[in-house]
Amino acid sequence: MPSPAPAIERRTAVPATPVPPSGGEATRRRREFSRRRALTIAAFLAPAVAFVALFTYYPMFSGVFGAFRNWSIYNIENQSWVGLANFETILRDALFWKTIGNTVLWVLGSLVPQFVIGFALALWLRRRFRFRGVYQALIFFPWAVSGFLIGILFRWMFNGEFGVVNDLLMKTGLIDTPLPWLADPALAMPAIIVANVWYGVTFFAIMILAALQSVPDELYEAAALDGTTKALALWHVTIPYIRTTLTLIVLLRVIWIFNFPDLIFGMTGGGPAGQTHIVTTYMIEITQQGDYGRASALGILVLVVLMVFASFYLLATRERKEAHR
Amino acid sequence: MRNTRRSLLAVAAVTAGALALSGCSGGGGGGGGGGEDGEVRLQMVETLTNPARSAILKELIAGFEGENPGVTVELVSPPSEQAVSTVQQMLQAGNGIDVLEVQDSTIGPFSSNDWLYDMNGDLEGWEGWDALTDNALRFAQPDGPTYMMPYGFYGLSLFYRTDLVEEAGFDGPPHSWEEMIDQAKAINDPSQNRYGYAFRGGSNSASNVVAIIEAYVADDLDVENAFLLKNGDTIFSAPEAQEAMDKYMELFTEGSPPSSIAWGYPEMVQGFSSGSTAFLLQDPEVIATIRDSSTLTEEQWSTTPLLVGPTGKAAQPIATAGWGVADSSEHKEEAMELIKYLASGDAPLTFAKGNSLVPILKSAADDPFFSEGPWATYVTMNEDPETYLNVTQPRGVAWWQEWSEKSDRELQEVLLGQTSTADLLATWDEYWSGKFASEG
Amino acid sequence: MITLESRAGRITRIAALGLWLVLTLFPLYWIVVTAFKPTSDIYKFPLEYWPSTFSLENFAGLFSKANFGTYLVNSLIIATVSAAIVTVISLLSGYIIARFEFRARGAVILAFLVTQMIPAFIALGPLYQLMVSLGLVNDRTGLVFVYIAMCIPFSTIMLRGFFENVPDALEEAAMIDGCSRLGALFRILVPVMTPGIVAAFIFNFVSCWNELFLSVTLLTSDANKTVPTALNGFITSYNIDWGSMSAAAVLTIVPTMVMFAFASKYIVQGLTAGAVKG
Repeated sequence: MPSPAPAIERRTAVPATPVPPSGGEATRRRREFSRRRALTIAAFLAPAVAFVALFTYYPMFSGVFGAFRNWSIYNIENQSWVGLANFETILRDALFWKTIGNTVLWVLGSLVPQFVIGFALALWLRRRFRFRGVYQALIFFPWAVSGFLIGILFRWMFNGEFGVVNDLLMKTGLIDTPLPWLADPALAMPAIIVANVWYGVTFFAIMILAALQSVPDELYEAAALDGTTKALALWHVTIPYIRTTLTLIVLLRVIWIFNFPDLIFGMTGGGPAGQTHIVTTYMIEITQQGDYGRASALGILVLVVLMVFASFYLLATRERKEAHR
Repeated sequence: MRNTRRSLLAVAAVTAGALALSGCSGGGGGGGGGGEDGEVRLQMVETLTNPARSAILKELIAGFEGENPGVTVELVSPPSEQAVSTVQQMLQAGNGIDVLEVQDSTIGPFSSNDWLYDMNGDLEGWEGWDALTDNALRFAQPDGPTYMMPYGFYGLSLFYRTDLVEEAGFDGPPHSWEEMIDQAKAINDPSQNRYGYAFRGGSNSASNVVAIIEAYVADDLDVENAFLLKNGDTIFSAPEAQEAMDKYMELFTEGSPPSSIAWGYPEMVQGFSSGSTAFLLQDPEVIATIRDSSTLTEEQWSTTPLLVGPTGKAAQPIATAGWGVADSSEHKEEAMELIKYLASGDAPLTFAKGNSLVPILKSAADDPFFSEGPWATYVTMNEDPETYLNVTQPRGVAWWQEWSEKSDRELQEVLLGQTSTADLLATWDEYWSGKFASEG
Repeated sequence: MITLESRAGRITRIAALGLWLVLTLFPLYWIVVTAFKPTSDIYKFPLEYWPSTFSLENFAGLFSKANFGTYLVNSLIIATVSAAIVTVISLLSGYIIARFEFRARGAVILAFLVTQMIPAFIALGPLYQLMVSLGLVNDRTGLVFVYIAMCIPFSTIMLRGFFENVPDALEEAAMIDGCSRLGALFRILVPVMTPGIVAAFIFNFVSCWNELFLSVTLLTSDANKTVPTALNGFITSYNIDWGSMSAAAVLTIVPTMVMFAFASKYIVQGLTAGAVKG
């Protein structure tokens, strides 16, 4: 987990403890001060914590317990305790392992192009030009569209009979007959990934652009004096400087992409034959089949995997950073 | 302090907004309870939602409210993709539902959870019983328990494009599966974006597989449980089933759009109504949809009876849906009035016409609406029960939902070439034999 | 490093940026074109890249066949109110997390981060039960509460990054002048942080505006429906109405587009300054 530990030093306890006057008066005032401080913290945090506790954590914990019960629509009154049976069913399910493979493909297949194209756009956008603001606003548009709606947009464009993608490919002579994009697993997976890349590039572009702009010019000037080429400067100056930012953006994106069933749900619903399911869309399907217990068990697996991933990822990147110093 | 005051004002405004929201939506609250002046508010939930149908239901509801002052009905129409899970959630919470749509695929789990109210006692001596057709009585069960009052029946007929069949040089519509497959192959031309058959490869795909298999084994079929043969084996174990499957795969590979692997009901209908495919095997509801769409003119399409197999027969499964009352309803008396209203008088015919369903009332036989144009096919099939066997499929079993998810996926695996048809039939045979055996 | 650019470099840059712009906007263009075609032309082969006849039938249908106006108003109210409350609440929590060192701080941050990792579906059933017992089912206020909880974690983390960019000295000075802490926060910090606050608000607004599954589950009656639910409703058991779907999609995208056009500068500044800090 991203521990806040390294950040502690740069944070000052607010406002600095007053110079202690002598005797009991000082103790009283200090106690009074720390009580007021605790009250402030509690009062300011209370609304946020209350909402999240009641509407997110409470239902989540109820859901988690359901993973150990026989909790299904077919026999809702009798929710017997079944221990790990739901997990066992999942691990024996061949389609589950297929969805694991798909999830990895989905995350990496989306993340890498998003990152590369986003980085390139950011580099090109660094130079000021007329209408740069307008350009940024325009390419930001996918980000405002819901995942489900993006799924629908692309489902229409990849439609096997009236889809514009087939039409364009046929016009340019790349194919002779229309391709059944969303009906053939070998084509459907790339199609949903294309949609997700389209959606996510801008986010990377904007984030990386901001990070680039935070690199002080002096660093480059020094590098330029050494006669470094542009590419080398990028590698030796820019990337190390913004590594922390990149790490965090990538981490956040991985979690989001992993947990982003909406697009696939709108585009293929996991089909054909479950071949485009990722873990989270598979979970939706199981929920809709009425096997809530098994769906919860799947949800717990997702949570565990993401937490383990996040810890390892942060640990690995931290060590590298230290080694770098 | 101007800024502080302004921010405080903003917070106050937001809070006031939230309060206003709760104020104006209070009336629509899920509790469904009665109002102050003895007003009763019923919540009615539909699951096979579509906007045109909701509009007809609202008209009928207005009629009901006119006859029953003091009772108002609120129609709840969740998007159909989410509808069943939404209803399940509401029923599980015992919250607010009074009247709900019950499908033959949901009646099993709903009634086994005691979510449905047995309406039989309330319907004792109801004058509406006499007007119902035999099929309607089979599902409403006058001897109880009555969990649902059907609103209409589905039945398969073949929709076909008169113009395309003629252009391809055929005299008329196909009569058998064999003929249809030949015509579909002749019409199929992907480069023109023209295909033979709107194949069902997506959700509920097994229904059409079963249709062709039943046509091929019609002579040995157990009509009371049409997944079984007269000798008690499943239909999937018959050698004719393999023959049917091979034909069906031929239809898919040579006469259907490749993307139809993923086609469920909406995509099939869209395939036909958009002019892309020449044949469509579907329920009468589609009549209304095609008439509404402006792509095809009345002269371009028609219907013909369900296709027969080498036996010369076809099996027509009776499928239905209807209205039921939630066991948790606090207004059962008013809810029953609504059920009765929807099942007697003009209401059932209005509903059946608007949605093009086979009606539940005997009197419909005299209504020209149900014997003209595309409807004539249903009259033909009705008058010839020797050819078009009326059969019952085990749709009410508790595992029906499980079966449809399982069969969808397994059939798609066959279409994708990952499994053979023989393996598929063996798996299905094993599944149903096992289920029926464990049931006793 | 902004150095002189070669001619070839310039051409590459312009071409690449132009290509991406086209790729980004094409789906939007296509949905708009589809929305303005009469139904029969949507299924015309070969495809028309520009409608031969412009028709408003799809848009008109939204308001005659469905109460799309009501859905738009619902979504607008719910998203605005939720986003406003979330932004205020997470201003407070983000401020505390940025400025104070206390024992539960790590736990709070962790708890917020974990919410980003939970698949929302796990909690849907129990959440429905909870809302029933609170009497908040099919009540727009109930959905507002749930959306507030949904948006708080990310919004807090984002605003916290912002506070860390503002020196402590600012509000300390104000507090020495006799302002309360709340006064200092709203009087001194909020004006400095406008871009971040606008960004957070818009981010929250977009999340709520687009949310589908919670809205479908918690708001059942037609009078309370939101736009995403209505959109999902065009995929019926009988047909996919691509014309209405496209028109509805256009109307769904327009409000967020307008918002972006007015505030894109703030969003870019805000998102980056907030998130770059992590």
